[in-house]
Amino acid sequence: MSNRICILLIEPSFLIREGLKTLLSSQGQPYRIEEFDAPVDDLDKLVNRINPDLVLLNPKLVIRLINLPRRNENIFEPYYIGLIESDAPTHIKGKFDQILNLDAEKSELNKIMEKSLRLIHNGNSETENTSLSEREISILKLVALGNTNNEIADKLFISAHTVMTHRKNITRKLGIKTVSGLTVYAILNQLIKLEEVQGV
Amino acid sequence: MRINKDLKMAEVIHMNHHLLPVLNRFDIYLGFGERTVEVVCKDHKINLNFFLEIVNTFHDPTYFPLRHLQSFKASMLIEYLRKTHSYYLDVKIPEIGQYISEIVQCSGFEENHRNLVKNFFDQYRRELTNHINKEEQGVYPYVLRLEKVLDSPRSSQETFDDLHKYSINEYEEDHDDVESKLFDLKNILIKYLPPVSNYKLLNLILHEIFELESDLNNHGHIEDLILVPIVENMEKEFHSRFANHGSNV
Repeated sequence: MSNRICILLIEPSFLIREGLKTLLSSQGQPYRIEEFDAPVDDLDKLVNRINPDLVLLNPKLVIRLINLPRRNENIFEPYYIGLIESDAPTHIKGKFDQILNLDAEKSELNKIMEKSLRLIHNGNSETENTSLSEREISILKLVALGNTNNEIADKLFISAHTVMTHRKNITRKLGIKTVSGLTVYAILNQLIKLEEVQGV
Repeated sequence: MRINKDLKMAEVIHMNHHLLPVLNRFDIYLGFGERTVEVVCKDHKINLNFFLEIVNTFHDPTYFPLRHLQSFKASMLIEYLRKTHSYYLDVKIPEIGQYISEIVQCSGFEENHRNLVKNFFDQYRRELTNHINKEEQGVYPYVLRLEKVLDSPRSSQETFDDLHKYSINEYEEDHDDVESKLFDLKNILIKYLPPVSNYKLLNLILHEIFELESDLNNHGHIEDLILVPIVENMEKEFHSRFANHGSNV
């Protein structure tokens, strides 16, 4: 899981593209960007190839805009921001997750960009509980003590797949990815004792 | 803004002072006066295009080096990458290691937490060192041999056989776990370590880790965007010129 988000920018105006990049850079979120300034025949194919987290799209450049392509029918993946004027028709606006009105003031633009990036970064749920659940704590303890996913699955009578899901959630909530990092966390928070762990 | 040959070197540092260690790797140090990038490069006998590609890749993460890829040699790039490695292993890592040894001795640290943080960092240091050694002992010698053969094809059959066997793409491995450890260390310090008395030192450690992380990211970026394409081109040339020199043909 990389921190750098991937952005697809489809907009004919050079000035607007540069302005958007300035706006993005001021958010302090590392990103890499692919830019297109010409009409797009096949948005599905493009989105599939680039696999972006965020699409900044001027709908004028899409030849037939019917549906915005999504991964796994998940509504926010990728996250679509429409680059349109305030008087654009509602049925166009309604397709996007967010509208960036090109006449808006700087503070408004910043606010929208910040909100969008936060949504993308947090796995797309706005009001997520970031503290660990009971189940996650018991799994974290077993991970920190050096158990493999299969061993944890056996001990807790759940599938290895479920263990994986819990581990992903633990990593997302804590911001700690490695087993030794999780072990340090568990000891600092007195979930396990130092003496219980081998080789820390 | 793109860094170009006519900018004053002093202006480059005003634009982005994080470039200072990068300049040091070219043996360029402060005290530029009014000299431009071009003049400073000339004074230091540095290939101007190469310098510009490196600083621009560092300065702007979205910059994509393309234009001058053919105009400098892989050995030049490897010399730069080796200097970067030695900056990590000989300067930055010992520095951060020293700070961490100091911070775990200060009050506020529980006795049994002292080794915890230190050992975690030592683990990271070992993994980074291993990763760097793999590049220095495997990838770079391969690239340098390839370059030598293309420059003067009088080499032993053994060399040709070896070069036919490998490809840069085999070396393209993910740096995932090494990166993740540094990422974890940041969050442990930011979120989970109880407050300590010497908060200034802790601030400094965190600052140093952020700097190291972005330098490492840039290093990987240069490997992926400059080194790998150059070597892929060299391999293409090698296979078309010496298709008959391999024993497997």
